[in-house]
Amino acid sequence: MTTTQRLRPRATQEGIVLLMALLLFAGFTVTLDGFLSAANLLNIVRSVSVLGVLAAGMAIVVIGRGIDLSMISIMVVTVAIQLQVMHGGWSTGAAMALAVAIALGLGAMNGYMVAYAGVSALFATLASGAFIFGFVRSQILRQDSITLPDDATTLLALGSARVLGLPLDVLAFAFVVVLGWAALRWTRQGRFLYLMGDNFQAARTTGIPVRPLIVVSFMASAVLAWAAGLTSAISLQSVNTRIVNSTLLYDVILVVVIGGIGLSGGKGGMRNVVVGAFLIGVLLNGMTILNLPNIHQNLIRSVILLAAIILDGQLNPRDEQTSQQGDI
Amino acid sequence: MTALLQARGLTKTFHGNIAVSAVDFDLTEGEVHALLGENGAGKSTFSKLLAGVYPPDAGTITLAGAPFAPAGPADALRHGIAMVYQETSLVPSMTVAQNLFLGSERAFNRLRGITIAAQQFLQSLNFTVDPTAQVASLGAAKRQMVEIARAVRLNARVIIFDEPTATLTPEERRHFFALINRLRRRGVAIIFITHALEEALQMADRITVMRDGARVLCAPAAELTQADIVHAMVGRELAIETVSRDGHRPAGAQVLSVEDVSMGALVRNTSFSVFAGQVTGIFGLVGSGRTETAKIIAGVLKRDFLRGGAIEYEGRPVRYATPGPAVADGIVYVTEDRKLEGFFENMSIAENLHAGRLSVAGGRSPFVSMAEMRALAAEWTERLSIRAGSPDARLVELSGGNQQKVVIGKALIQKPRLIIFDEPTRGVDVGAVAEIHALIEHLADDGMAVMVISSYLPEIRALSDRILVYRQGRVVEEFSPADATDEGIMYAAVH
Repeated sequence: MTTTQRLRPRATQEGIVLLMALLLFAGFTVTLDGFLSAANLLNIVRSVSVLGVLAAGMAIVVIGRGIDLSMISIMVVTVAIQLQVMHGGWSTGAAMALAVAIALGLGAMNGYMVAYAGVSALFATLASGAFIFGFVRSQILRQDSITLPDDATTLLALGSARVLGLPLDVLAFAFVVVLGWAALRWTRQGRFLYLMGDNFQAARTTGIPVRPLIVVSFMASAVLAWAAGLTSAISLQSVNTRIVNSTLLYDVILVVVIGGIGLSGGKGGMRNVVVGAFLIGVLLNGMTILNLPNIHQNLIRSVILLAAIILDGQLNPRDEQTSQQGDI
Repeated sequence: MTALLQARGLTKTFHGNIAVSAVDFDLTEGEVHALLGENGAGKSTFSKLLAGVYPPDAGTITLAGAPFAPAGPADALRHGIAMVYQETSLVPSMTVAQNLFLGSERAFNRLRGITIAAQQFLQSLNFTVDPTAQVASLGAAKRQMVEIARAVRLNARVIIFDEPTATLTPEERRHFFALINRLRRRGVAIIFITHALEEALQMADRITVMRDGARVLCAPAAELTQADIVHAMVGRELAIETVSRDGHRPAGAQVLSVEDVSMGALVRNTSFSVFAGQVTGIFGLVGSGRTETAKIIAGVLKRDFLRGGAIEYEGRPVRYATPGPAVADGIVYVTEDRKLEGFFENMSIAENLHAGRLSVAGGRSPFVSMAEMRALAAEWTERLSIRAGSPDARLVELSGGNQQKVVIGKALIQKPRLIIFDEPTRGVDVGAVAEIHALIEHLADDGMAVMVISSYLPEIRALSDRILVYRQGRVVEEFSPADATDEGIMYAAVH
């Protein structure tokens, strides 16, 4: 039957990507001077750390057969508010608690719209992302860019801290991956997420509380968006809200899809995020060293994203029945 | 009269299952020919062979004396054979006129022009449908009229109706029959598939009954009685009854009582009870509301909020909004459509079985034990004799019977006190059927309250200690196995 035919390549998708990344890595090593230096390797990992944290959040939602297009907005908004209230005299801890609470609230709102109001995740988060950013930027924030306050010594210290020679963002990515892996593999909610992503109706009939689970998954992605934002703010010493208009969101989806987490849900995990991030990191780094103009870099990235989505569609087809169960 | 359409030895198999086997059929001009049979008897497949939806594996079709092998539905339509489906194929957002001329518009299409043409055409048929009305705003009967008008406009000489009256009100039904008569007078030959015997006897010139893909009866309607037809429909070799019943189990405590439960038009004021230690069989044709009732009990669907009736489970009233609490209370529903809502196709056998355990072990450790999963898989693949290479085999790779066993295993792991099997052996190989039946008997012997829903009469008869018959959204009759006959049950279900 056709099922067995389409199953075989699916098992190796992750492998193909890993192989591509390794080939690229080898190619750059041979052709580019200084690519293999320790500093540059760290650079590669650093360049994808924030992206990786975001992708981990996106992966959680995608595994449950959703998608969260509001992640960048949530990331920018929560961190910007956190920094702004710190400028206004709040303590680091209180500001952080506020930012986390806002992230949880926004995630819950997204989840509520998808799970209870029945809006497709694609549209719900597209709209909420635009709304959240538009509202906060116009009503609350005074400028595009907010710096880390000079008296926020803890955060500033974190920015230059090194553990085993690794900077904070790399550690954050590693921490999120390990935590995410453990949560997806070893907790009931994690298992439920896969079951729900594989077959929503069956999960519901089996007695799994599917709707609360959707809300939780969006809350997790929102909190990870905040974490990514904070990590980036600490290493850059500021947050620039204009990043909402960049291609960052597409890079996040690129990492998730190319890593082999099917958009049809129920598959993949943190390992795929790492593989996807690795490929993107090597690619971006190589292109930067080659000094390709930005526009060409975008072109290459978009072609890869398109190819990955087409490949995903071929390997994980959405049949008639899956599409009946609701689209992303 | 010479035959307009003739089929000889028409055969079609799907994945090795014979759907239609060597059927002979003929149809003369102006004839109304009713096609009857149980669900899965091959009526729809047979008509789709005539309408060019599927090519036959063997056999020939002759149309007006010339051999006819349609390349597809469009080709069949060009030759004058139109099929009107239960789910109509109209475009809801377009007007009646636009739908009538769909696919035959000229390059420069004037809305006014086709509206006038449609008006004239509908009048010539005596159809009172407004050509400017949007199809979405029409009732089922009017939509059917538009479908028919479209078929007639394309000069269809043969029109096949697939259960045309199933969705109609009695009033609409009368209109529909008047229409059939007008078409008959125009010389159009009509095949209509139905479940309603009295309609077939009233409307048809000839009646053909199919059973297990073969033609078992073909005679003029005037020479037949309802009893003849029912007998032809059910009188099969009951291979399944080899699983013999050794006496009836007595009723235990009342586990479930359903009173006056309603849900929209699908379930209407149904009432019945289910007892522990017994198999309560529910027989009904597809669309009779039995699946919906089961889903209401298990919390998959919600009954009407007002005047929705009452459900008592183990002596207390219940109203589940989701299946979760129902499962926690010990009510488990085993679906009729396992691919859609039964199993997780990309997950392994072990993961599927484990899903059952995880979803009920609430309040316990939030962490998942892979060792527990493996132990569970080993225990239940053994107990249900699930045949697969390993517990890590994914569900898509299994046969229908093994998939069903996994779904049942997942349900039993949830330790139900009331289990509802909906079509437990649909699409399951013969060997597994016997095993699943033995399992169901075993559960009832152990004191569980078991409901079995089936539209397969031998299955109901082989398993049930009580037989409830469903029709039009409610239990219409109850039989004890001792005084039940196939004819009696079928009569109650279709009458």
